[in-house]
Amino acid sequence: MTERPSFQKEVSNLMSVLDGNPIDVCIQCGTCSGSCPAVEYMDYSPRHIIALIRSDLKDEVLNSDTIWCCSSCYNCTVRCPKEIKITEMMYALKRYSIWKHQYREGAIGPAFSRKFVRMVVKTGKSYEPGLAPTFMFRYGMRGMIDNMQLGMSLFNKKRIAILPKTVKRIKNFRRVLNRIIPIGVEK
Amino acid sequence: MNGKRILLIDDDPDYVYAVKMILEKANYSVRVSYSPKEGYAALQDGEFDLVIVDVMMGRGAEGIIVARKLKKDRELKKLPLLMITGIREQTGFFFIGDPRHETFLPVDGFLEKPVNTEVLLNKVRELLHSDQTAELKQEKQGEEP
Repeated sequence: MTERPSFQKEVSNLMSVLDGNPIDVCIQCGTCSGSCPAVEYMDYSPRHIIALIRSDLKDEVLNSDTIWCCSSCYNCTVRCPKEIKITEMMYALKRYSIWKHQYREGAIGPAFSRKFVRMVVKTGKSYEPGLAPTFMFRYGMRGMIDNMQLGMSLFNKKRIAILPKTVKRIKNFRRVLNRIIPIGVEK
Repeated sequence: MNGKRILLIDDDPDYVYAVKMILEKANYSVRVSYSPKEGYAALQDGEFDLVIVDVMMGRGAEGIIVARKLKKDRELKKLPLLMITGIREQTGFFFIGDPRHETFLPVDGFLEKPVNTEVLLNKVRELLHSDQTAELKQEKQGEEP
């Protein structure tokens, strides 16, 4: 019997094998956490997440909102002295979390990702007013008003459209997608 | 053991554990790879009669890349390839019509997770058998002048 892979092994299987060092070379210097612009919104810092993965604490990692707060700015990746692709690792954890449906109940990240991908597949473009209404009620009245104000100021500067638009030749776009990944009917 | 060797490439340890147990109960010898990379290495240093592969692995639908790669290889394309996927459950999307396609998804069998034990064993038996009959046909054709 092949030995059951550890959580660390599972995560590294999800990362690209071609580039970057494995997570186990991390020296816990904290450069990633220090460089991260979103760290104040996270419950565990990126350094902490790496330590949790190495300790096989799967539930703590998947229940944290760190992976969903990551804005993929790649600051950590370019600054890591051991050349670990931390942003890649965050993406790997997002995939793991979504594919296995393991995330904290009510987490916005997974639902947002799904909705966003569906929108891009359908129209070939992102349409912000379509995304916002699903989530703005979660932050109560205050959040709703903030969102509306933001929407209005963007609209006044012609940064967002009222009606969703699709890319030209959407059928060709879908055909391209179909060759890369099997996106067919939504069930 | 009935001597048939199966290679299972899937990144989900729980699923691998279950499928391996079912196949071993049915007297197949099973080797497991948890990533496409390990899978290629296993194919290089061992001989197999059937390959079972998952779709969603690594950075996305890498199982499809594995299938295309195997079917391009002169030696390995003779191996029957069974694809078992939970893509509908994992991503919410599924293939249009028949997922099998000779260039886009060149597999010999396609099943969707969760797979019923009987269905899985029947499919495996069918693929292994079709492989044998194809070989027999080739041999017969070779004998005939």
